[in-house]
Amino acid sequence: MESKANILVVDDEAVIRDGCTKILTKAGWDVETAENGRDGIELIKNKNFDILLLDLMMPGMNGLEVIQVVNEIAPDIYIVVITGYATIETAVEAMKRGAYDYIPKPFTPDQLRVVVKKVLDNKALLLEAEYLREEQEKGLLAIAHEKSKIKTILNCMPNGVLVIDGEKRIALYNPIASKLLNISGDESIGEFADACIDCEDLNSMILDVLNQVQNDSTIISGEIIGYNAIPIMAHIAPVMVQDGDIVGAVAILQDISTQKAIDNMKADFIAKVTHELKSPVATINQLLMTLQEGVVGDLEKEQSQMIGRAREWGEGLLDLISDLLNISKIESGLSIQKKVPLNIKDEIENVIDLLKPQSDKKKIAIDISMNNNLPVINADKDGMREVFTNLISNAIKYTDQGGEINIKGELDRDYVKVSVSDNGIGISEKDMPFIFERFFRVKTKKTRQIMGTGLGLPIVKEIIDAHLGLIEVQSEEGTGSTFSVFLPRKVD
Amino acid sequence: MSEKKKVLLVDDNPDFCEATKLILEKKGGYEVTLAYDGVEGLEKVKSDRPDIIVLDVMMPNKDGYKMCSELKADDEYRDIPIILLTAVASHISDTQYTPRMGMETEADDYLDKPAEPKEILRRVDALLKK
Repeated sequence: MESKANILVVDDEAVIRDGCTKILTKAGWDVETAENGRDGIELIKNKNFDILLLDLMMPGMNGLEVIQVVNEIAPDIYIVVITGYATIETAVEAMKRGAYDYIPKPFTPDQLRVVVKKVLDNKALLLEAEYLREEQEKGLLAIAHEKSKIKTILNCMPNGVLVIDGEKRIALYNPIASKLLNISGDESIGEFADACIDCEDLNSMILDVLNQVQNDSTIISGEIIGYNAIPIMAHIAPVMVQDGDIVGAVAILQDISTQKAIDNMKADFIAKVTHELKSPVATINQLLMTLQEGVVGDLEKEQSQMIGRAREWGEGLLDLISDLLNISKIESGLSIQKKVPLNIKDEIENVIDLLKPQSDKKKIAIDISMNNNLPVINADKDGMREVFTNLISNAIKYTDQGGEINIKGELDRDYVKVSVSDNGIGISEKDMPFIFERFFRVKTKKTRQIMGTGLGLPIVKEIIDAHLGLIEVQSEEGTGSTFSVFLPRKVD
Repeated sequence: MSEKKKVLLVDDNPDFCEATKLILEKKGGYEVTLAYDGVEGLEKVKSDRPDIIVLDVMMPNKDGYKMCSELKADDEYRDIPIILLTAVASHISDTQYTPRMGMETEADDYLDKPAEPKEILRRVDALLKK
């Protein structure tokens, strides 16, 4: 890189001055000249020069004297001495006094250019080194600043933060995390998490996150009990590098004591209100059933039928109360918090047993074919029962007498897929987009007699969503429907 | 013919009691005594020693769970079978009145309210025949 440079030539010989000026100007540098030391020094006082080409043997002030002065007034200038027939000794003396290099007279234009170039390169290198040093200093400062910023943020956060490396060792935590978990010892950084943290649930959640399949990892959340029985909501996210490898985990810990207390109050309130709602309807139905049994006098067939219909409406009302309660509970996050390893086949068989009276009544055959090697899923037991009770009882409700229901369970990639198929009345294309909307009900001649709350499928969807699963529907009006539920298999 | 078996029915709702009493007496041929809360229920157990107890869960004074666990902890009354009646609105719940809680109180059986008369009789018959 050719940089613009100012060069001063001080020589009593006009030939040298003119020669240098010519050669150096041609090479693209600015050149000024002086014919003796004093003039040269005057020029240096008024202008910054990069290089001083200096003749040692001059009348008046000689070169060595000039060097001495220049060293004082412009220490940054590079001095190259020109020595006519000079001995090495003079040059060495000049170098000792601060000259950078020397060039013996006579010299070729090339020699001159090479010397000047060498000086300029050296100068550029020094400048760059200086620049780098300054940058590095700035960088370190910025890093230190950034570090203290992050530390301040971490320390001020209302939530606990805990970072675990890929070897399950503690990499970092903030004071709240230490308080919530009572992380033992002052020097816990670098220690194994399970040795310092007395919370089995948290440690196993961390393991689950670290052992997740590459590129398919998710945040695991769950309630844990911390130090002093503090209820904590823990969210644990994998730390991934570019190729998708999991190299650690970050846990955010939130003290949910207050929320827990409110939740408990809410749950109590809901329990009381629903009892108050359900109890009168239950009593009405109990009385109607007793009436129907004929224990207070025989009933005409039509009377009994009408009581039967009244009972059905009562049942419908009870279902609605249950569904409203369920949906409010799912929404407020009161349920689906206790995920346990489940064998879905057992749960479905239980549900079929419970629904047997309904299917028997309509002479509907339920066929179940579940792969015996289906992996375990991590799910809320009651939630799963609710899902399959809804799906199977819907299949029974919307299928004619003597129909057929097939339940199939299989492994579909990392999901356990359970399909409930019927050969019932099906869903029209027009109604399909709305079936998961609350209180939507398909209104046709055939469905008029079917009791329902319009909340069953919305509840199913909410529960499946809470399990990070999905639900698919295939249906043709008049032919039947298939509801397929996909639930992620448990990762071990 | 053997003497009629005695059923103690404990529920704070008089209409429910009346309806269920009619079923148990007329259809089941049992002798039915009524109590309207847990405290009264325990008194009746002691004064009247029933063969079986049909017990509501949500009651004032002493609820069905408490009454049930007190009886099951008492050597003298442990053998009396108990059927718990629950009017829980939802099965996905972790409220204090889920049927699962009923199972934990060592009740011998439990029934959801409203209960089919035939089902009530079937459960009572089954426990008394044991």
